[in-house]
Parts: sequence; structure tokens; C-alpha cells
Amino acid sequence: MKDGRFLTLGIETSCDETAASVVAGGRFVMSNVISSQIDIHTAYGGVVPEIASRKHLECVNDVIGRALEEADVTPKEIDLIGVTYGPGLVGALLIGVAAAKAMAYACDIPLVGVNHMHGHIAANYLEHHELEPPFMALIVSGGHTEIVNVPAYNRCEKLGGTRDDAAGEAFDKIARVIGLGYPGGPKIDRAAKEGDPQSIAFKRVYLEQGSLDFSFSGLKTQALNYLNQERQAGREIKVNDVAASFQEAVVEVIADKAVMAAERYGQKQIVMAGGVASNTRLRALIEAKAGEKGITVLKPSPVLCTDNGAMIASAAYYAYRSGEKPTLELDAVPGLEF
Amino acid sequence: MYILAIETTGKYGSASVINETGKVFSAASGEEMNHLKGMMLLVDEAIREAGITKAELTHIAASVGPGSFTGIRIGVVTARVMAQMLGLPCIGVSSLEAMGERVLSDAIASGALYVVPLINARRHQTYAGVYEAQYTSDLEHQALFPVMEEKQYMIEDLLAGLKNKLAEYDGASVYFTGDGIDAYREIIEEEMSGHHYVFADEDLRYQHSGSVAVIALKRSKAGKVLAYNELMPEYMRLAEAEQRLRAGTLSERIRKPVQI
Repeated sequence: MKDGRFLTLGIETSCDETAASVVAGGRFVMSNVISSQIDIHTAYGGVVPEIASRKHLECVNDVIGRALEEADVTPKEIDLIGVTYGPGLVGALLIGVAAAKAMAYACDIPLVGVNHMHGHIAANYLEHHELEPPFMALIVSGGHTEIVNVPAYNRCEKLGGTRDDAAGEAFDKIARVIGLGYPGGPKIDRAAKEGDPQSIAFKRVYLEQGSLDFSFSGLKTQALNYLNQERQAGREIKVNDVAASFQEAVVEVIADKAVMAAERYGQKQIVMAGGVASNTRLRALIEAKAGEKGITVLKPSPVLCTDNGAMIASAAYYAYRSGEKPTLELDAVPGLEF
Repeated sequence: MYILAIETTGKYGSASVINETGKVFSAASGEEMNHLKGMMLLVDEAIREAGITKAELTHIAASVGPGSFTGIRIGVVTARVMAQMLGLPCIGVSSLEAMGERVLSDAIASGALYVVPLINARRHQTYAGVYEAQYTSDLEHQALFPVMEEKQYMIEDLLAGLKNKLAEYDGASVYFTGDGIDAYREIIEEEMSGHHYVFADEDLRYQHSGSVAVIALKRSKAGKVLAYNELMPEYMRLAEAEQRLRAGTLSERIRKPVQI
């Protein structure tokens, strides 16, 4: 507690960012420190779990220390610690969990575990201070493509998800084969701006009538077949056109299904979250489609779309307030469901 | 002086507190690989056993490996963050040295000259070291003196090196300890036939924080302490992807994106 404000420290290490943040009252970001390993993993074409775990260990003290320092608070002034305990890479998760537990024990601070996906949704509370449930959430990232109904704080009902690749994963794979490299999402987004989204007619995959699930592996195969065919015919591949057409086929389906879900559940707000929520075309398209139905679209700024500690702090705050019991026996759960 | 020592590099986690007279108070898990879930409870139990509060701790020690990568990290992170938050110095202890320390009296009592802690690193590999078990020059204390460095060996290479040492001392005997015994018993028995050797009993064979604490006490008295951010893991092995990157055998497809 400082100046009468309830302070939560959030710690996040589920993938390749070591992050910590101090949030006041569940809504106001006082510090947000993110140490990214992206440069290290680029040499391997993706995140290497063992290397990520090693790096988290080397960074975590410094990241927590800087988060406290930048917020100008001492450990004793922290009222609550929240840490991501899943889903994610087990070796990476356990660094954050072990660090959070050691701090909670050493400083007598209550600790709650946070579902990483709840954290992504909570990122919106930090950006939009008036936002309250109920709303429809759309989470799109390297590991997830999910539509989630949020009737109340920390209540998440998953309505649909991907049956194979996540949207971000599909972007990564296509980016690799057209030579854009890793990380695929932002590179496809950039290249697509210079390309024609109608130039290649990739089929949209909507699955069964009314389904809120996704499938991107067929689309990926279509794109690979197209590239092979063009190469064999000796035609030049227009990278920007491929990026734009592929991206359009992915984001159009996502936007349609998110709007469909909001309408079905009578939600007036769609809240976006996850790394791919930064995709400029997805943002524009979903806003246009939702706008036609009188639905508002909220999205966090790009820094809160990536993995960060602030979103974990916010989710921890609302979990604690809703009566979640603190525990020093927290374990990492790599396959944690919603 | 109260040193907290954490050991999570093997199958069973444990925590101990040692005071300046060398009295050790311990708590150990009976559950395999329960390090993450159980560690703070073990720490709390050891502190209460010692009859102190965490505010009275003066140092935080951890076994830094070799051993299970995941286990190493849990212990080292726990020690680092506790030390950071409590404002205490750290002490890093080799898991192999601590395993040797644990069996030292037993080894000397059994007449062994060499103590060989070995950890199973799979595929004929082992993290190991070879020590001489001796009385110190005052003849009051026993101590381990390294004679083959701690590193990753092929079990066959380790035993060949050991036999070279044995050739210098006719009839000297060897005391093996660690889970490398469980993995490589047959190889050891075959290679060591004709030599004197014993295997540590199971109740002394595996890592325990008590002997980490004993070594940490010596280090602290010698002023060999670290800041929390200097406490580093000793994996003894690069990550597999890094080995491949350095050897140039990382999959081409990953190393160089397909250019069209």
C-alpha cells in the first residue's frame, strides 16, 4: 500500500519475455518492464525452450528490481503478487513461479497464480479504465486463437478456439517460407501493406455452419501449394501479394467469427487481446464489421498486447478481490485451460 | 550466523539451516520432482526446525548443479530472489561436491581413498568428479581434495581416468555415490573388476541440502560469498539447440529461411 493505493506486482515468464510490473488498484500501470529474448531466438528460427529458461533465470531478479524501482516502491509496499502459472513453456513458467514464491515468502506478501490468457484479457482494463464485464473477448497470438465470453471479472467461458495452428503460428510459418523470417506476424503485417489482398484467392475456412472454431492448417497448405506451383511455372513470387492475400484470409474469418459470437451472446463490446491483436488489418476489419452491428471494439495498445507483467498484475488483482486464496504451493501448469 | 541451503538438483528436494556451530536442521520432500510446488514449505519448515525466523538468516546457499536443468533453476532462482528481497549474500555449492561431502565420513570409515560422485546424464554420459578423501593436516577434520575435475564424462572415460589414478596407489579403493550408480552399475562393475570399490547406501546416495549447508558454512567463514545476481547455475552442458548451432548442424530449414 502506498498513498492509499493497493499495489500488485505482476510477473510473467511463460514464453520468451521476462516481464514484471507494478499496477495500482488493478488499473493503473506504475511500471512495466519487459526484457525480450527475441534476438537470441531469431538465430534458431523460433523460441528454444531450454534457452528461454536459462535466459529467464538470468534476467528475472533484475526485471523485478527495475519494476519496483520504476514504480518507486519497496517490496514491503507491495500488497499482492500475481504470477503466470500457465499455459506456456513449463521451464519458462517455473522461473516466474519460483521467483514469485520466493518473494512472497521472503516479504510476507500474498501470492495468486494467474492464467496467462486471463491476463491478456485483463490488459484491456489497464488501457480502458471504464471497461467492465460483460464483454466478448477475442484472443489472437502465436499460441492462441480463441473467442471467450467474459460475463464477470475472472470468469471466462471459451466458446471457440483453433483446431490446429494458431493465427500467429500460421503467420510465422508462411513468413518463413516466403523469406520474411521470424517473428512472422509483424513482418507479414508490414509486407501486406504493400501488397494486393485480392491478388490470390485463398479459400476462407469457416468450418461447420455457426462454428466459432478456427482452422488455419488448410489455408497454410493452400499457400504452400500456390508457392510450389508458381515456382514450377517459373513465375516470380510477389511476396507482398502473398502476405496480403494470406493475411486477409486469416483475419477475415477471425473478424467474422468474433462479431458472430458477440451478436449471439448479446454483447455490445468486443475486447481484443494477444500479440496478433496488434495486426493493423485485423484491427481495421473487425472494427468495420462490428461497427455495422453497433458493437464497439476495444483493444490495448501494442505494448500491452505482447506478454507483459501489467496484465498479470491486473488479472491477479481481480482474482484476489473475487476471493481467490493465496498459496505458496503454486505449481506451473503448462497446459492450463481457460 | 544462520545459513539457509537449498538442494533441488536431484530427484528429491530439501532445505536446511545450519548455525555457526555446524548444527544442521533439515526438511526434505518424500515426493519425486516436487521442487517447484514444495520448496517454500520445505524452506519454512527448516527455518522453524532451527527455531529462528527468516529475518535471522544471514546467507542463502544453493546447490547450483550439475543435475536436472529444471531442478537447478528452481533452487537457484529461489535462492537468488530470497537473497535479493532479504538483502543477504549468496553461496553457490557444486552438487557433486555436496554429494561427496555427504558420504565423506562413511567413505573414510570404509577405507576408501577416492570418492566419486556421479550423476546420470543419460546416453553413457555422467556429470562427475573424483576426489581424494583425506584428513586435513591438523588430523581433526576430513576433507575432499579434487583429483579429476568436475565435468561431463562418458562413463567409460571417467572409469579409465580413475583406473589410471588407481595404478598410482596399489590396492586403493573407490567409493561411488550418486544416481549414476543406478544408471551405470553394470558398466562400473565390469570396468572395475579386480579393483576395490563400494557403492554408497541408498540413504546416502542422493543429493541433500544438509551437506550443501556444511560446505556453505566453510565458504562463509572463508568469506567466499556472492551477490544474489552472481549466483549462477552450473549446467555443465549447453542447450541442445546451442550445441547444434555451434556445430553447424542446426536444421538448414531453421537456420536459413527458404528464399524464393
